[in-house]
Amino acid sequence: MEPDPNLMDREHTRSHSGVFVEVRMAHITLNQYLQQVLEAIENRDGLFCSEMLSFKHPHVANPRLQLSSPEEKCQQLLEPPYDEMVAAHLRCTFAVSNHDFVEAYKSFQAHKEENWALPIMFAVTLDLRIFANNAEQQLQSKGKGNAGDMLEKAAEQLMSCFRVCASDNRAGIDDSKKWGMLFLINQLFKIYFKINKLHLCKPLIRAIDSSNLKDEYSTAQRVTYKYYVGRKAMFDSDFKQAEEYLSFSFIHCHRSCQRNKRLILIYLLPVKMLLGHMPTHQLLKKYDLMQFADVTKAVSDGNLLLLNEALVKHETFFIRCGIFLILEKLKIITYRNLFKKVYHLLKTHQLPLDAFLVALKMMKVEDVDIDEVQCILANLIYMGHIKGYISHQHQKLVVSKQNPFPPLSSVS
Amino acid sequence: MSSEWHHSRRGRGHRHKEQGRANRERVVEQKVSVPHGTCMTMCPAYELRQREAQNRLHRFEMVAGTEQDRLPRADASRAVKEYSRPAAGKDSTRASDLRPPSVLLKTVHYLVDDIAVSSTFQPWTEVYSFVFDRLRSVRQDLIIQRVSGPDCVAVLEKSVRFLLYASYRLCGQQLQYFDPRINDTHLQECLSWLLESYRDGKHQHQEEFQALSLLYNLGSTQAIQHVLELPERIRSSPAVQLALAVSRAHMERNPVRLLRLAQRLDFIQVCAVHRHLLPCRRDLLMLYSHGHSSRNCRYPLQRLARLLFLKDGLAAELCEVYGVNVTGEWVNFSKSSFTVAPSGDLHCRRLHEPQDDEQWNCSASSVIHGCA
Repeated sequence: MEPDPNLMDREHTRSHSGVFVEVRMAHITLNQYLQQVLEAIENRDGLFCSEMLSFKHPHVANPRLQLSSPEEKCQQLLEPPYDEMVAAHLRCTFAVSNHDFVEAYKSFQAHKEENWALPIMFAVTLDLRIFANNAEQQLQSKGKGNAGDMLEKAAEQLMSCFRVCASDNRAGIDDSKKWGMLFLINQLFKIYFKINKLHLCKPLIRAIDSSNLKDEYSTAQRVTYKYYVGRKAMFDSDFKQAEEYLSFSFIHCHRSCQRNKRLILIYLLPVKMLLGHMPTHQLLKKYDLMQFADVTKAVSDGNLLLLNEALVKHETFFIRCGIFLILEKLKIITYRNLFKKVYHLLKTHQLPLDAFLVALKMMKVEDVDIDEVQCILANLIYMGHIKGYISHQHQKLVVSKQNPFPPLSSVS
Repeated sequence: MSSEWHHSRRGRGHRHKEQGRANRERVVEQKVSVPHGTCMTMCPAYELRQREAQNRLHRFEMVAGTEQDRLPRADASRAVKEYSRPAAGKDSTRASDLRPPSVLLKTVHYLVDDIAVSSTFQPWTEVYSFVFDRLRSVRQDLIIQRVSGPDCVAVLEKSVRFLLYASYRLCGQQLQYFDPRINDTHLQECLSWLLESYRDGKHQHQEEFQALSLLYNLGSTQAIQHVLELPERIRSSPAVQLALAVSRAHMERNPVRLLRLAQRLDFIQVCAVHRHLLPCRRDLLMLYSHGHSSRNCRYPLQRLARLLFLKDGLAAELCEVYGVNVTGEWVNFSKSSFTVAPSGDLHCRRLHEPQDDEQWNCSASSVIHGCA
């Protein structure tokens, strides 16, 4: 079962309610519901309020709350902006009960609030993104709408929430809305990755980098954040950074979240391999990532044939995860490993170019000739993988007597 | 959507009405109809009369013999609706001004068959400017009428071929006659629209254009990822496979292989990829400057020229521009003397196949028609 790489989930709903409350929730009247919300607001109980507005809570299954026009009732009991918020939420439960996710999405809004309502914002914006997703899928299956439209709109909403949080300079650090920033950024990352607009991540990353709260957020939020930033770094070919971020994410991801750990590994592995660190068989087995086994073996052995076969065999998986192109970069490392073997075999510092050609032909590399061999070697020299030079006249590669094949981790 | 909420910050009674209106507006919006054109000529009658009266006809739209008159007469069979920027107060959705898909297709055929590939109209920079604008107007009509499907695809495919051809033929022309950036913007727009249209249904020429898109956008991770995600049938077609091979050579930084593969491309594919070839040749010189860097070693110029697929003289010039030392028949590579920034000017155009206008005109027809 292949995971959706954009579903790094760490929700923050710690439910207040026990079993009794759940049963009750399914039967309360609209009045009782609104009363409960009013009490929660008056008591500044952010957590309880967020549950009353979250789709993870059982009250959404209550048909008495699934109303298409609850505005009047809400206005009677609640002050703005809560009346509109709750009304929108109830309209949404109505739409969802009819499986109309497009309408459900439209009923969704986010509002300005103080810091105590951050849990509400978390719950609401999470549901917003999920609804946008569902709405997209529904529209796509009907053949309407452009891919990404709903999600882009959701992103705009989230951005306005983000701006409110980021610009909160009034409250003291404990009451600051800035605590909401990382959660929102993670939600936005998920959307940007899904609609393939990674360049939009940049200003968000800058905002966090310049924030003094960046190491104070919860580990869960930071794990998610580093996962996405790591993937972005991969996309930008900044592999050293990518390794740093993804390693952090993997190490700090809780042991019990196997699925998430596996997801992080899918991206961490290619990066580590490019830097010369091959994963062990145990690791691959433990996380059910045996697709990488052949690739690993091929690269270490300098076996281009096996590498090509492995890439073709698991093509669908690699392409879907978006790592196929990065794995192709391993070809250069494989050439380097193969040529290093040739060097060790011949035990001389003046290697005939023909030897490399023979090695490549043995690996069934097609229509390669001496000119291409020179080109590949020149590339390896340029990248610092080989210390030496090619003499065309003597048809030899002359390598340095000291460390002609520097360790992979010291290069790039 | 957010404006709805701002409205309702007033008193309670108001809010209820606002909400109701907002709900009703939502419903109305969904019922707005899409414009359907009724203009059966290439140029709407109203525009024709207006432009004739204001002396704003293009040379190619005038009745032969009246070009020098104070007020040239419009040739209704050759006038084509021009592109006009949407503006506030201007209604671009009048049915009598919009051409339905069948007329748009005829218009495109006229622009390509009778203008772009014809040798009667000179200079070609003027042909380009006219066809570019009129094709843009065709696409505008498509957008306003929300046309999709085979008609839309046909128009876009011809547009793409024309723009690709132009990017090669007019490469190096003065900016006032041809701006590669503007051409590129429109080309990218057409390509992404076309590729999006390919998602539904079957299209005869899809493989060809997927390949062209990949070649034009050589090096773009997004473009490659898109191709990798295509259905097997299309991905395994010869055109796409060749484009992928070129792309792979580019990714692995193997210019020798890339330039060799490029020899197998057909003309329109060369048009698509040509702007990447000069940087590719520069890369070859760069790699060899590092890989063959040695005071005592020499590399035969002739062989280098063959690798670059250039004549000896041109190869020597290229070397000079990038700081690679050439003495007679020999090249001496040195990593310290190679410079990425070219000194002097060696424009991409110099590396094209030299062709005179006659040869260009012959090729135009087959290239732009391509798929009949």
